[in-house]
Amino acid sequence: MRRLGIALLASVALSGCVQTRQYADVEFSPPQGNYKLLVMRPDVSVGSVTTGGLVEPRADWTESARAKLLAALRAQQAARGGDVFIMEKRSSLPGVDPEMVAELERLHYAVGSSIALHKYSGDYLPTKRGKGLDWTLGEDAVALGRRTGYDFALFLYAEDSFASSGRVGLQVLGIAGCFVGFCAANIGGGGQFAYASLADLRTGDVVWFNIVSARSQIAGIKMGDIRTDEGAAQLVDRLLDRMKPGRNVQRRQAKIQ
Amino acid sequence: MSPALSRRVLLGGAGALATSFATGIAHARVLPNDMGPLIGAGYRATEPDEKGMWQQMERVEEEVSGSNLLIKEPRLTAYLSSLIGKVGGPAAKDMRIYLARIPEFNAIMFPTGFAVVFSGLLLRMRNEAQLAGVVAHESAHFLRKHQLRQWRDMRRKTDAFSFLMMGAGLAGGAAGIYAGDLVQLAQLGTVLSLLKYNRTLEAEADAMGVRLLADAGYDPMAMSETWEQLIGELDLSAKYRRKKRDRNFSLFETHPAPEARMADLKISAAEVKQPGRTYDAYYSRYQEALATIRPTLLDDQVKLNDPGASQYVIDTLAKDGWDGLLRFQEGEIWRLRNRSGDDVRAAQGYAAAVLYPDAPPNAWRWHGIMLLKQGHRAEARSAFARYLQMAPDAPDAALVRQMMIG
Repeated sequence: MRRLGIALLASVALSGCVQTRQYADVEFSPPQGNYKLLVMRPDVSVGSVTTGGLVEPRADWTESARAKLLAALRAQQAARGGDVFIMEKRSSLPGVDPEMVAELERLHYAVGSSIALHKYSGDYLPTKRGKGLDWTLGEDAVALGRRTGYDFALFLYAEDSFASSGRVGLQVLGIAGCFVGFCAANIGGGGQFAYASLADLRTGDVVWFNIVSARSQIAGIKMGDIRTDEGAAQLVDRLLDRMKPGRNVQRRQAKIQ
Repeated sequence: MSPALSRRVLLGGAGALATSFATGIAHARVLPNDMGPLIGAGYRATEPDEKGMWQQMERVEEEVSGSNLLIKEPRLTAYLSSLIGKVGGPAAKDMRIYLARIPEFNAIMFPTGFAVVFSGLLLRMRNEAQLAGVVAHESAHFLRKHQLRQWRDMRRKTDAFSFLMMGAGLAGGAAGIYAGDLVQLAQLGTVLSLLKYNRTLEAEADAMGVRLLADAGYDPMAMSETWEQLIGELDLSAKYRRKKRDRNFSLFETHPAPEARMADLKISAAEVKQPGRTYDAYYSRYQEALATIRPTLLDDQVKLNDPGASQYVIDTLAKDGWDGLLRFQEGEIWRLRNRSGDDVRAAQGYAAAVLYPDAPPNAWRWHGIMLLKQGHRAEARSAFARYLQMAPDAPDAALVRQMMIG
């Protein structure tokens, strides 16, 4: 999951702003009303950016961010009317072998990497042109849906990092340098990155995929903080709350109007 | 231009140079006696940076332990665990060991105390002492907190480098000088000193490994033998490919040169041996533990089609006596390479293999095919008959019967 995150992150231009980029199956309509959603164990990591620019993972920050994100996700889904189950462990689903869950996570890692490469990194496939999002997890996902009765599975990844005081000091030095002609006003440091991938467990297809990148080029300026209630809610909102229907669905809606 | 500022730029440059000189290739041997464990039994992460590392590693271990590359034969994994129990020092009960089916000479220790041993390593070890030596070396990485120290070293150096870079830029900017070249030099210095720190840690693990090995009653010379074997294998593999072994084990290597390690390990082994105590290599215990898996390990190696390395591995194992399996796989090396004349060498291998009572069924099969090619129909028929007798349910049994008639 982490390496997939890096591949996706590389595709987002590193500018100081918030970006999202979603793709959907041409026939996708955002789940509404009485749907059952299974959230696969979210992969969350939070770290501190060292002076030299390395990200050092922090266990306590990661734990609190995970808890806040899960709470924000529950609140957001409750508002949409969905019946949600969030897996905290691979063994959280009664009657389902954790190994089956692990296999599906690994499969999604491979499929997600392919989406990252061909939808986000610029290696566009001519065979998939005009097809929206055309990837599937196949029979394994259908089998999980049949076994558990869920309609959708959501795969989540989120990382956040914050500039250490040393990094901020370095940034201050860089901005001060602008007065003597050596300007390093945007050394960067810290920021958010997240992706979400929605699979339809009735067909096995990946029907919707979205990434969020929120980072500042100036170390010390935060674009969000998933360790807080508001920050977590903000990320869930950016990531999941603006699902657009697929192209064919949009066209049909336009005709009706 | 202000002379004071330009001097600072020069100083920055000189600092960078000094860093790179400090990483020169000269090395001093780490003494086994200086290498005590830095952690005790039941150790858990304490500092924030270490806790973060451990949390990530728990996920890694979850993936590793669920990987389908693992060999999960209970007897073999219990055997490996018993080794870590002997040479794991104070953390012997805390460490975990996973065996991955990868035909390469390697073993990795992770910061939380679990190790992954590649199956190619098991194949290459001649006795239990050699394998225990590698396990002891990996244990030492954990006992001396190497991954954490490596991370802290990297953090410190990249921190220092960032300020140096910013300082040089500022000074250069103020003085109107382009400091880019000096900055690059400093960057090289940082990278080189990172690698140096890594080599120091490897030397520490070697020194401590020798000590753990001798303490457990194994012959500590086993570790230098392992390196001797690695050097020999790399040389022969390169020679068969008409290349030279990569000898650039100097500035840009994370591990010390194998020759230097081998020499240091020999001296250290002599140093840790106590007069009057007996040390054993435990050859037969190792043979017994590996008996069921060795055919698979050899097969994986030979199918890499790296004739030099495979021949070296087989010759090394044959120093303790040839058997039908080794002779058969020796034939396979040449059959797979398939250059002109290799068929003759392969045929010789199969012919030699069937002289041993433990020749595998496939040795008889290939012996038969080679005889058939040479026109020795009657002998081929009896070889095939022997094959079918040993493996009546072989998937190609019908084909072989057809060859016997035709």
